[in-house]
Amino acid sequence: MIYKVSYVIIGRSHPGEIVNMDTPPRVGDQIQLGDELFEIIEVVDLIPPRGEFAYLHATCKPVENES
Amino acid sequence: MSVMDVLQHSELFLELTPEQIERIAALGREAIYDAGDIIISEGGRSDEVYVICNGMVEVEVAQGTVHDVPGVPQLSSIVRLGQGQMFGEMALVDSGTRSATVRCAQDGTVLFAIPHIDFWDLFESDYQIGFIVMRNIAADLSFKLRHRNLQTRLAGGGA
Repeated sequence: MIYKVSYVIIGRSHPGEIVNMDTPPRVGDQIQLGDELFEIIEVVDLIPPRGEFAYLHATCKPVENES
Repeated sequence: MSVMDVLQHSELFLELTPEQIERIAALGREAIYDAGDIIISEGGRSDEVYVICNGMVEVEVAQGTVHDVPGVPQLSSIVRLGQGQMFGEMALVDSGTRSATVRCAQDGTVLFAIPHIDFWDLFESDYQIGFIVMRNIAADLSFKLRHRNLQTRLAGGGA
């Protein structure tokens, strides 16, 4: 399965990304988009799967620097 | 992963047979860009559609009313696209000028470029390929619109 994911960032001005993934995103995962690290806080099926493609949306927030 | 492997797993060619994909692949060419390179420019002439084989691009649009803003326009990034995604498909569908600037965001980004005119010639000689590819392009445009809608909704939700 190929997971076509729409990543949308909240809490920061960021254009988001559309990328194909080998594994689906999961809530709580961290993902690097460009040079920045984000935490996935929501994953939803955007539209029904078609062929080998699944279509997902993931909402992400910046990972706070704890230092 | 070879270009042919990427094309076979690209949504643009979903539900085409390997033989049909090979016919399309024979029309195109590989192009390699480095970060910062401008691949297409908003308002420019459009003659190719692109599939990202490897790497990342950033799609940018000019802010303000183009004709009212003198000098170099301020560009605003609207989305980043990674492996397997396509761009340049709007102009394939409507024959208009480029609706956005696309800038390479990662060194060594590999694109597969297919000339519009050759694509259309193939569609007209093989309606089945034409129907499937145009449906896939419509689905991709719909996905991008849904992404944009979510961006707008989430940005307006107090982010």
